[in-house]
Amino acid sequence: MKRVALNTIGVIVAVLFAFPTYWMLTSAFKPSGDLLTPDYDLIPLSVTFDNFVSAFTQPGFTVHLTNSLIVTLGAVACSLVAGVLAAFPLARLRFRGRRGFLLLVLIAQMAPLEALFIPMFLLMQDAGLLNQLPSLLLVYFAITLPFTVWTLRGFVQGIPYELEEAGMVDGLSRFGAFRRIVLPLLGPGLVATSVFAFITAWNEFLYALVFMRDSDKQTLPVWLSTFRSVFGTDWGAIMAASVLYALPALVFFLIVQRKLVAGATAGALKG
Amino acid sequence: MVGVASIALVTAGCAGSGGTDPGSDAGTDEQRTLTVWLMDGSAPETLTTALHEEFEKANENVTVKYEIQEWNGIQDKLTTALASQEPPDIIELGNTQAPAFAAEGVLTDLTGDIDALNGGQWLDSLKASGEWDGKQFSTPFYAANREVLYRTDMFEQAGITATPTSRQEWLDAIAKLEAKFGSSKTFQPLYLPGQNWYALLSFIYDEGGDIAEKDGTTFTATMTSPEAKAGLEFYKQLVEASGTTAPKDNDEQNPEQAGIFGQGEVAMMIGLPWEVDTATKDKPELKEKISAFPIPSKNAGETAPVFQGGSNLAIPVNSANADLAKDYLKLMLSDKYQGMLAEGGMVPGASTDLSALEKNAVSKAMADASKNGRSVPATPTWATIEAGQNPLKDMLTAYLTGSKSLDQATKDASTALDAAFSAS
Amino acid sequence: MTTTALPVVPAGTPPAPPRAGRGRAGLGERTIPYLLLAPAVVTMLVLLGWPAVQVIAISFRRLDLGELVRGEVVWVGLDNYRAVLADPEVWTVTLRTVVFTASVVAATVIGGLLLALLMRHIAAGVRVAVQICLVLAWATPILATTTVFQWIFDQQYGILNKTLVKLGFDSFAGYSWFSSGASTLTVVGLLIVWQAMPFVCFTIYAGLLTAPKELYEAASMDGASGWQTFSTVSWPVIRPLVTLATFLSLIWDFKVMAQVWAIRQGGPDGESTTLPVLLYLKGIAGRHFGVASAIAVLMILVLLVLSIRYLQLLLRSKEGDLS
Repeated sequence: MKRVALNTIGVIVAVLFAFPTYWMLTSAFKPSGDLLTPDYDLIPLSVTFDNFVSAFTQPGFTVHLTNSLIVTLGAVACSLVAGVLAAFPLARLRFRGRRGFLLLVLIAQMAPLEALFIPMFLLMQDAGLLNQLPSLLLVYFAITLPFTVWTLRGFVQGIPYELEEAGMVDGLSRFGAFRRIVLPLLGPGLVATSVFAFITAWNEFLYALVFMRDSDKQTLPVWLSTFRSVFGTDWGAIMAASVLYALPALVFFLIVQRKLVAGATAGALKG
Repeated sequence: MVGVASIALVTAGCAGSGGTDPGSDAGTDEQRTLTVWLMDGSAPETLTTALHEEFEKANENVTVKYEIQEWNGIQDKLTTALASQEPPDIIELGNTQAPAFAAEGVLTDLTGDIDALNGGQWLDSLKASGEWDGKQFSTPFYAANREVLYRTDMFEQAGITATPTSRQEWLDAIAKLEAKFGSSKTFQPLYLPGQNWYALLSFIYDEGGDIAEKDGTTFTATMTSPEAKAGLEFYKQLVEASGTTAPKDNDEQNPEQAGIFGQGEVAMMIGLPWEVDTATKDKPELKEKISAFPIPSKNAGETAPVFQGGSNLAIPVNSANADLAKDYLKLMLSDKYQGMLAEGGMVPGASTDLSALEKNAVSKAMADASKNGRSVPATPTWATIEAGQNPLKDMLTAYLTGSKSLDQATKDASTALDAAFSAS
Repeated sequence: MTTTALPVVPAGTPPAPPRAGRGRAGLGERTIPYLLLAPAVVTMLVLLGWPAVQVIAISFRRLDLGELVRGEVVWVGLDNYRAVLADPEVWTVTLRTVVFTASVVAATVIGGLLLALLMRHIAAGVRVAVQICLVLAWATPILATTTVFQWIFDQQYGILNKTLVKLGFDSFAGYSWFSSGASTLTVVGLLIVWQAMPFVCFTIYAGLLTAPKELYEAASMDGASGWQTFSTVSWPVIRPLVTLATFLSLIWDFKVMAQVWAIRQGGPDGESTTLPVLLYLKGIAGRHFGVASAIAVLMILVLLVLSIRYLQLLLRSKEGDLS
């Protein structure tokens, strides 16, 4: 009985969370004129693929998609590597400067990005990186890193140290124990942080807009905004484009979810 | 039409021919690149292609690097681009944004070039947008203004034989439409959301009022004037007479009025010519049933003055190719290319020849009203007002929903505008 | 390998981390923490630290578009701060932002925690469905979500008002959700919670998964109730993550700009303006970057005050450890 009740709650939560996205999806299939009608239209009566045609024919989708994938995946990878490297000593070792570093990580997240874009722009200009994808990759790496470090540190702390001790008793070195025991258990943590970093970088608009002068170097958020202009906004196409836009994030989640959670469970059982 | 046809995001791939920017060495034999930033939807592609071909032919060692910019985020992009080592040589500025750039001293002074740039034919409201402190920092490019779009078939069925030419006739038409179609619950003789401040400005201008009074470079809000109040009262009269179900707390873009108009249960809306395309996107057969007339005045037979939206063109002060850029402007503002702008459905900013617009009833109504166009106060602070919290919108909602009296709403709006004007 | 006989870790006593360089560790081992931290430190110092220092410097300068383009450096001392702090609106907005942030953070963290616990106890199929819905909410671009929320809450055509009327609440016909600042912020808050909860939920759920199964087995062998299992097994593992999620949510929700802006640009009558919106309106839109920087510094100070408890824990605890 209790299980049924809990499952029911689960379904309700899923529906609530899915509704706005469902609304986006159905809007993508509605003729533009039907987006807002006086009728009650929970299920679209007429379905059209015109909006998807408009979205696909808006120039640059594949180019922008590629750019977005490069900077986003690049930033996520850098962020995870640097994050795991930093999380281990922060959670498991004591050394001078540790608190100072923790403070740095904390405060680094507090500055509003809207205020940073001028200094960032000048920095990239001085570095000669303007209008080049690495500049975005670096920025996304930097803005997702504090979070990644902080979260992964939390995950490492959550793993009982006794597991490592046991491993070391069994003859593993400290780093060996970390790699063989802690890292596999970190799987779910890596999923959560990488999905977060992915979505943060995937959605970033301002820096992509001002750093990249050439339109063939722009990313998807900028592409998405091209549907909206003072000369009329094609809302149906925006919704269709948003569906296309959200898909890679979902695919990314499904991939890491399977790989890492499966890995984690296997690791825990073997351990 | 404009805005849909010219979205092609093509960058001149050949630009720079060698990858490095030759802007810094302006030697005469050097290959030079003129970077032109125009906004999405402004100049039709046919125009820019022909223009750039002609310009490159006339200037053998010059390549035009043409980059179409999106409106979304353009302020931040322009800010950084102007501050960068390679600023664009020609930029397009929204006419309400232009004073902010002029006042900052980041644009090249064009006062001495007005005559060479077809200055005799400039549209007054856009010329004013480009002026700051007695100097001309940007030139008119194109303009557009609102008109009343209506369904010819509905007018016919309701027995309205001529389009309204006075406020009274307009209200009469609304009454006739209501009488004919009112049995349908979803029918609206006029769709008018609560925050269409462009329409409100038209009514206020018509009463002889304005947003603010100018004294040198300082502005004082005049929303509490009897003229402004009369304009607001007429707005409310329209909303009540038409019984529009449009939200009172939002503007014509949220939800997009053209989409609602296109559903076929609305006889009129106050909009721009190209909203017809948006409205008829899924129902092309509706297009021939839509026509337009200028916003009627309180004085029979006249058209009300209109708020003129549009763009100006300017040369950033850091441009390494200011001389070339002036030549480019000269060509762009010549009769030939201004005529092509009109062909594309815009009111040309530097040509009084509107014949191309008169071929079609929808654009003709805009052209007719454009002769009496006005703009918002040419103050650098207006950009901030329009960027976000426009007191005119809050005023309209408060007054129309009855949450504030007319006196209170206009007083609050004046106070908010004055605070914005004085923030420097 | 034998890890089945692990003792249940009592709450609040994390194991003391070993000290690097203890015992026979040599110079190599002592430098290892620094080597491991180097990539993160360098990145943060160059790409976040340096711009942040610049922002502080800019807050003492007049930097409008003109100065920026001409490359002029005009020091104005505390003028920007004086201008910002002299405006009575700033204090109202600051207070409003704090209250708004606190509500959103509380809703996000409590909701996320409950949902994470729920996920442990539901059928695998339902769980995957919930997860996918969460990721969808999370991954949907802001432009789409803000638009969809506006449609849902639209005065005339919104599905919410239509549904409420169908359910018999006739007073919601034509009800305006955006007529006051509080109501507008409630809608904005819902939007933010909807988008932020997936992260919190996933993080905490991931934490629950890292708790070794053996601990739960041990607890159930001891005959522990559901609550006891939670407080002795789950809570110690997820506690750092809950603290962390709270802290991070605090920082993000305090800074959130896009959603607040998109819904009503801080209106009506500026009643839903928060500090980031103020920063944009007063600083960026008018291109007064000195003022924008001053507000940014002010925001960081407010955030520091809000998170002082957390920082104290961080600085005072012997190991610099938080749990």
